[in-house]
Amino acid sequence: MRAEFSQISALTAAAAHVLCFAGLAAAHALAGRGALVSDPALALRLVVVCEAPIVIAVFSYLRRDTQSCSFFKAVARGLIGLPVGAFLNAFGAIVLGAPVGIKYWIATIYWSLAMSLLTFVPAACVFGTSKIDWQNVLSHSIYFTPIDVENYMISAPCHGAVLGAWLGAWPMPLDWERPWQEWPICVTYGAVAGYLVGMSVSLVLIAVHKRRVRAKTD
Amino acid sequence: MGAAVAGWTVAAVLLQVAGLSLFLYGFFPVKPTLRGFSGEESYQVPSCGSVSAGQQEPALPPDQLRSLYRELSGIPPVYDRLVLMVIDGLPAEFVLGRGRKPPSKEMMESMPYTQSLLAGCKAAAYHAKAAPPTVTMPRLKAMVSGAIGGFLDVAFNFNTQAFLEDNLLDQLHMIGLKLVMLGDETWIKLFPTLFTRQDGVSSFYVKDTVEVDFNVSRHLEFELAAKDWSVLVLHYLGLDHVGHIGGRRSVLMTQKMKEMDDVIRRVHAASLLDNMNRTLFVVVSDHGMTEGGNHGGSSYEETDSLALFIGHSVESPYCSPYDQNEALQVDLAPTLALLLGVPIPKNNFGVVLPEPLNSLTDDQKLRMLELNSWQILRLLQAQVPAFCLEECINSEGSIVLDILHESIEKKLCHLLSKAFSSHQSSRLHRGSDFKSVQAGYYGTAADNYYGFLRYASEWLSHRATDKPLYLLVSAILLMTVSCLFLMSTVSCLLKGRSLSQVDQHSESYLDQRCHLDEVLVLAGMFLYVISLGSSSFVEEEQYTWHFLTSTLYLIFLTKAIHSMLKGSNPTLGHKAEESFDKSNFSYATSFELTPGKRNVYKLCTILIVLVAGRVIRAWHQGGINWVHFPDISKLLAQADSSVVKSLQIISFLAVVVLFSVSLTLLRARSKFVIGVWLTHIFCGFLVLLHICANQISTSLPINHSTASIARQFYVIASVSISATVLASPWVFPIFSTEAESASSGSSPVKAIHGIRNSLFLTGITYTAFWGLLQLLLQQPINAIPLFLIFLQTVSSVVHFSLDKTLHKQWVQVVAMQFLGMAGHFGLGNTNSLASIDVAGAFIGISSYSTVLSGILMFMITYASPLMLYLGLVLHVSVKDIDDISTLRHLKWSYILDKMVTLPCLFPLLINSLALTSYTIVLLLMRNHLFVWSVFSPKYLYVCAATVCTYVGVFVIAMTAVYNCAVFKFRARSYRDKSQ
Ligand SMILES: [Zn+2]
Ligand SMILES: [Zn+2]
Repeated sequence: MRAEFSQISALTAAAAHVLCFAGLAAAHALAGRGALVSDPALALRLVVVCEAPIVIAVFSYLRRDTQSCSFFKAVARGLIGLPVGAFLNAFGAIVLGAPVGIKYWIATIYWSLAMSLLTFVPAACVFGTSKIDWQNVLSHSIYFTPIDVENYMISAPCHGAVLGAWLGAWPMPLDWERPWQEWPICVTYGAVAGYLVGMSVSLVLIAVHKRRVRAKTD
Repeated sequence: MGAAVAGWTVAAVLLQVAGLSLFLYGFFPVKPTLRGFSGEESYQVPSCGSVSAGQQEPALPPDQLRSLYRELSGIPPVYDRLVLMVIDGLPAEFVLGRGRKPPSKEMMESMPYTQSLLAGCKAAAYHAKAAPPTVTMPRLKAMVSGAIGGFLDVAFNFNTQAFLEDNLLDQLHMIGLKLVMLGDETWIKLFPTLFTRQDGVSSFYVKDTVEVDFNVSRHLEFELAAKDWSVLVLHYLGLDHVGHIGGRRSVLMTQKMKEMDDVIRRVHAASLLDNMNRTLFVVVSDHGMTEGGNHGGSSYEETDSLALFIGHSVESPYCSPYDQNEALQVDLAPTLALLLGVPIPKNNFGVVLPEPLNSLTDDQKLRMLELNSWQILRLLQAQVPAFCLEECINSEGSIVLDILHESIEKKLCHLLSKAFSSHQSSRLHRGSDFKSVQAGYYGTAADNYYGFLRYASEWLSHRATDKPLYLLVSAILLMTVSCLFLMSTVSCLLKGRSLSQVDQHSESYLDQRCHLDEVLVLAGMFLYVISLGSSSFVEEEQYTWHFLTSTLYLIFLTKAIHSMLKGSNPTLGHKAEESFDKSNFSYATSFELTPGKRNVYKLCTILIVLVAGRVIRAWHQGGINWVHFPDISKLLAQADSSVVKSLQIISFLAVVVLFSVSLTLLRARSKFVIGVWLTHIFCGFLVLLHICANQISTSLPINHSTASIARQFYVIASVSISATVLASPWVFPIFSTEAESASSGSSPVKAIHGIRNSLFLTGITYTAFWGLLQLLLQQPINAIPLFLIFLQTVSSVVHFSLDKTLHKQWVQVVAMQFLGMAGHFGLGNTNSLASIDVAGAFIGISSYSTVLSGILMFMITYASPLMLYLGLVLHVSVKDIDDISTLRHLKWSYILDKMVTLPCLFPLLINSLALTSYTIVLLLMRNHLFVWSVFSPKYLYVCAATVCTYVGVFVIAMTAVYNCAVFKFRARSYRDKSQ
């Protein structure tokens, strides 16, 4: 069974998540309090700069096909995945109503790069072109049928980020006239919150999965 | 099963209608008003105890009544004659500027005479705030009666009835004055027997801007010379029509204002010639207009109406006309009544305005304020039974002045007694030698009076009318029960279906535990229902619908990609592919697509829907709050008209091409299909002619050639649609040709072909003709969004026909309905009554007809949802009836049931959900600040959407039933013949 040789431990997954979280925290610390509201483009750029090396390095290290694919090949996959994912995220956001005016371009680009780092790049690094794994990322069946630890590790934060961003857009039409209701601020907040929730969910799922596997082998 | 479902559905619909009418009756009551007319009792202190409503003194002859009033009031009437000039839709901003700034130079120059009067302090002007709904008839009623009618006056705006409440004109008539009316015929409908001479013009012919005003002005010379009348009402509609056509900044606007200024000059000159200078000239507007020239809502632009008084009592040595003098529109009634010496109308809650009383003595002014206070006190007594003046005065001494914590009644009481006592002390000091002392007493008395009057007026206008709660709750219960009926029917059906499907496609994709799209539909409906409780989500509802629709289609996209990944996986792919090519008539089989190509088509159709949806969303950006947001329609409005025209022609061509392409998919290219195509082309040609002709006519009043083109279109389109619908089930062969050659039996699988073809033709004809009709009716700017909605409809149907296992049928139906709602807002509709396109409702109508223009208005407003309902007919035709092959022999009722149940039930269910939850929201919000400005107009929209759903579902059901009946008949006769 394939899961035997490429299975990673719960601890590794937790460490990966902690590293990613540290990247976000570093970006937050560098930007300072409230920077996302006052200058979203700058804050998002910091997120991209801090998070990109960490995410690509960590998930390339955790790549699935360790034998056939070198670390650098995985890094290259991540680097290609970054703009591709950004394009997909930007498409989704614009179709859902993100403004396309010139003054929003920069923010939209950085936002979609950041979203790509939270959603697309990890999967690109780990899975490469494995169709069956991409299928799992796209569907929600992982929550019902037990599969690999990697799938939990990748999919849950990704789904969390997308769902969080989607929910984060809801307060935008309210007439509270707060600065954070602007695009892409509250969407980013939602995405990060969803990402963090997704991380913890993935850890819980991994723990449950490990216990189940151990129970089965015993 | 089918009959039971139909029975339940009809029962649910009937319950819903009953609940809805009960709720409407309870929530929008005809406001309880004081009956009868004010008489001589208006000049007496109102007594405590029961309000004497019934006792009617024997009517005095007019002359005696007049002298009686003069005697009782103690003030001789200030004026004998009144000219009331109503300029429909003139915003006060045009004359008085905004925020203490005079209007723009252009505006100043377009009304030179009026501005000179203002500058010379010969006139006093107010920003008279009109109450919503800002449409003509309720506003006229408010001006003459001083009371604000119920909300549903809007609905009666198109069906004016005689005004029976106490009002200024009737009072003037009672003291024997002669009235003459020229202008908007609304006045004649309100007061059918009052005027000695009258010439009414119709306000419904919005495209005409010249003729309406000429019909008024042509009498002016005669009437101004005539001495027999005492009240002359002039109502000019042209300016409102200019606004409806071109908005505030229309090129015709300054010209129209100059014309109005000229009328003011003429009337004023004539009134100056009058002996003794006893004519009061009042210029008012009934409401303002938005930037786009519409009205109906409650924005500042719409409620900012003008009240301008010209007469000898107004003149004063100094004045500041651009000082943003605020007043209420209802203040007009008491002011005019007091100046002309008649009792104030009974239901008035306006307050007499100070400037028109400038030339009066202090005592006279206080007397007028006293009369006004007495009248309002009577009204208060009717609303608060225990309210009593004497008790107020008696209790005054004992109460510690702790007003802040007192009830409103106590506060009113306090203000009132303060006013009366200060008036009393001012009266005592009348003989005082010191002018300054006298003026000081007058000042405090007047201040106290205004304090009471303003407070009482505000309280009366804000006081929500009592709503019978038990009635509303039972209405809601009825609606909830109907909603539950629908829900249980649907859940039974779905359960039944999924059971029957389990044994068929046990391995297919359908059997995953829960689907993302289904979860989204449920969660989205939940979020939507929640969002209705927030006024900003109601105001900006377009965001909700666009967001939900796009999310649903994005999920379709991921599912399509997911199935592609799965499909290209050789082990899993085959199973799904096999089920496609069995017996389906669809876009896919018509072109014999390979699986790879089919995948590309699948993705493309969704992408088209998504991108088109985004463009539509950008076309009309703002809702109610954010009207100023830049969007494509505003960009085009500023652009050259040729751009708009070419866009119109492009979208027209696109609709025709799309229709032709769809027709070629019908493999049966009979003469009949070609005939349908030709009539469509011809109708399209008429629309094209209309587009071209209309371009020239925007500056001209009425263009009769365009009206006749439109009428020809109506006739030809309706004839060809009904011919298509009636004939198409007879034309197509019952069994497809290849099926007949293969096995000559009447197996159900083959029989389905004929009905599919027929329904397909009917559906595509419906949608394409509907598209053409809308291109004719809608504003030119909406042409591209209309085409895009048509495109979305067709590509959704194509997508759903390409892969039938991907989404359940009910999700497809819901997706189509979501598209309809998103498109509804994309065409510029909002939840404010101001966005209704009135101008379009008169295209092709020669004589004024309430019913016809109402229908046209409905069709324009609900263009997009109706388009999608018609598209559902198309969708029915390509729907896969999976277990038809298991049937031993042909059973038409079964096919009908399979085809039409879900497309009929789901729109009803979703609408019922929205209606019921919004009704509950409205009940909870009945004391909310925005209840009349935001929530109630939205409720009217919800009711109209319910009607729209009924119409759509009726069309779907009837088309399918008719087709099935014909095919059943034909199949039976075929069998008889072959035996
Ligand atoms: Zn009007
Ligand atoms: Zn109007």
